[in-house]
Amino acid sequence: MNRRQLVAGLGLAPLAWYLLPETAGAKEAPLKLRTLYNKDRSFSDLAHSLEGTRVSVGGYMAPPLKADSQFFVLTKIPMAVCPFCETEAEWPRDILAVYTKRIVDVVAFNSKIVTRGVLELGTFKDPETGFVSRARLSDAVYERA
Amino acid sequence: MKTIICTSLALALTGSVAFAQDTVPQASSQWYKDGEAAIQALLARQPNTNRAKNVILLIADGNGVGTNYATRLFDGQQKGMLGEENVLPYETPDFHSALVKTYNINAQTPDSAPTAGSMNTGVKQRFNLINLGEEAIHDDCSTVAGNELTVFSELMTEAGKSVGVVSTARLTHATPAAVYAKTANRNWEDAVPEGCTAQKDIATQLIDAMEAGTVDFAMGGGGRYFLPKDKEMGGLKGRREDNVDLVERATGLGAQFATDTAGFKSLKLDGSSPVLALFNSSHMEYEADRAEDDEPSLADMTKAAIEYLSKNEDGYYLEIEAGRVDHGNHAGNAARALRDGVAFVEAVAMADELTNDEDTLIIVTADHEHAIAFNGYCGRGSAILGLCYDVAQKGIKHSDKVLTADDGKPYTVIGYLNGTGSVLKKGEGENDYTGSRPELDQETATDLDYIQQALIPKSSETHSGEDVAVYAKGPWAHLVDGTIEQNVIFHVMNHAVNAQ
Repeated sequence: MNRRQLVAGLGLAPLAWYLLPETAGAKEAPLKLRTLYNKDRSFSDLAHSLEGTRVSVGGYMAPPLKADSQFFVLTKIPMAVCPFCETEAEWPRDILAVYTKRIVDVVAFNSKIVTRGVLELGTFKDPETGFVSRARLSDAVYERA
Repeated sequence: MKTIICTSLALALTGSVAFAQDTVPQASSQWYKDGEAAIQALLARQPNTNRAKNVILLIADGNGVGTNYATRLFDGQQKGMLGEENVLPYETPDFHSALVKTYNINAQTPDSAPTAGSMNTGVKQRFNLINLGEEAIHDDCSTVAGNELTVFSELMTEAGKSVGVVSTARLTHATPAAVYAKTANRNWEDAVPEGCTAQKDIATQLIDAMEAGTVDFAMGGGGRYFLPKDKEMGGLKGRREDNVDLVERATGLGAQFATDTAGFKSLKLDGSSPVLALFNSSHMEYEADRAEDDEPSLADMTKAAIEYLSKNEDGYYLEIEAGRVDHGNHAGNAARALRDGVAFVEAVAMADELTNDEDTLIIVTADHEHAIAFNGYCGRGSAILGLCYDVAQKGIKHSDKVLTADDGKPYTVIGYLNGTGSVLKKGEGENDYTGSRPELDQETATDLDYIQQALIPKSSETHSGEDVAVYAKGPWAHLVDGTIEQNVIFHVMNHAVNAQ
C-alpha cells in the first residue's frame, strides 16, 4: 500500500471501518491466500512458520450470513453466496475463516480486501454458527485493497 | 471435349500462378512460402471414407472460438513463443473444421445440457434438460415418459462397441451425463422430485447404464452423488439423501473402483470388468490446483480410457470432457480457464497419438462460448493473461509501453462482458451500482487468482451464444465443413460408424 492509496482509503472509508494499524508488518505485501496451502490441501511450510503470528492476507469477503457478526469467510476469488445459505455452492478449499475484532461492516463480495489477524491452524468448529474451519485469522481487522 | 477444356483451364491457371510467383516481390517472404505450403497440405488431403471403428468426441466445456484463441496464445507463450503463431494439435491441416451454431431449441444462449445432448442424439434439445424430445418441458417429470431419445452410446453398444465417458467435472454434470442420461432437469444429479417415477436421478442412471452394459468406463468427479449422506470413502463424502450406496452397487456388479491417482494406476485396463473412478466429491480440481498424487490429469485419463476400450475389437465410443474451462470462465478467472484449456489440448494430443486415422474418428469441439472478449490494440506477444502493450514501430514484439484507456489506467487483453469482475459494485445499503476501474499492474493481472475486469455485475459470468469450432480427423472427418448446427456432429459420427 502506498501513501496515496492509504490517504484515499482514509478519505473514503465509512466511520465504522477499522483500518490496519501502521505496524511494520502491515506495510508488507499481503500474503496470497493460496500460499498457505499445498496442492494436497495440507498447510504449507509458510503457513506453519507463521502460525500464531499476525499476518496480512488478501482476498474477498464472502457475504456474511447475518448482520452484526464478527465473522466472515475470506476467499481467494469472489464468491457471491454465503457458506451457510447455499449448500450447493462450490467452495474452494483454500479459504480462511476470519474472526474480527469489531462487528463486520460488509464489503461487496467482489471488492478486494486485505485482512490482518493472528493465524490459527487446525480444525475448529464454531460453537455459534457450526462453521468448521481449518485455518483462521483471529482478532482481525481489514480494509479495501 | 469437356475434359479437354477443363485440363486447358487448369494448365492456364497453373501457368498464371507460376508467373505470379516469379514476379511478386513478396515471393521470398517466409509468410509467402508458408502460405504456399499450406495450400499444398490442403491439396494433399484425401477424403477418408473408411468405416470408423472408434469414435472419440473431445469437448472442452465453454471453449468457444474466443476461449480457444486465448488457450492457443497461452499455450504458445508457455512454450516461449510470442503466442499468436502457435498451432494447437487440432489446428493443423490434418483436421477438417467448421463453425458450429450452439443455440438450444428455446435458448439463444445455450447451456451445456442440451448442447451435449444434441451431439449425443442428433437433435437439438430444450434448455437445461438432457436427451428428451422437443415436447419435454424443463423441470417437469410428467413430460419425460415417451420423450426419451436414443443416445449414441446405446447405438454403439448395439453395434457391439464399448463406451467410455471421462470428465474433469462431476460425471453427473451436463456434458458427461449426455452420454447416458435422460432427464427433465440437469440438476437432478442425485435425486428427483417427490412423486417423479418416470426417471431416476442422473447418478443412478449411470450405474444403471453400467449394469446394462451401455457404459463400460466412467472416470471423473462427483463422488458425493454416488455415496449415502455423510459416508466417507477414499476422500469422498456422500450426499445422497436416499442413503443408496451406488459405489457398492457398482462394485457388486464387478466394477473396479478408484478414488485417487494410486487407485487409478492400479486399475486393470484389460477390458474384462467395468471401471468407475470418482476422484473428487464434486468436480475434479482445476489443473492449476491439481496435485499429481491426488488426481490424474485429463491426458492420463484419456490414455487409460483408450487403452481399456481398445481391447474391444469391435471398437468403442469415448466422450472426453475438459469440464473446468467453463468454470474458470464463469469465475472470470481466465488464468485457470486457460490452464484447463492446455490440459484439454494435451488430452487431444494423447488421443491422436494413441489412435490410427484409418479407423478412428476424432472430433474436437466445445459446447458453447462465454462472454469473453479481447481488447486492442495490443502488440505481438502481449501476455494473453496480462496487460495490453503497444504495437512496436520496429521489430515484431510489443513495445514496453502499456496501453491505457481514456481513464488513464492500463487494461488487460482479456475482459468479460459480465461477471464478478464487474467494475460496477454495490455498497452495503446502497441502491446503485457504481464504480471505476481499479489501477492495475502486470504482476497483479497475471496472478493465478486474478479476476479480469468485466462490465455488467453478475454473481457468475455467463455463457454466450457465439459459435464454437469443431475439428475432425479420421474416417469421414471431411464432412465437418462450413457452418453447421451442433446436432450435425452426431450425424457425422453416425455416418462414419455405419459407412459401407
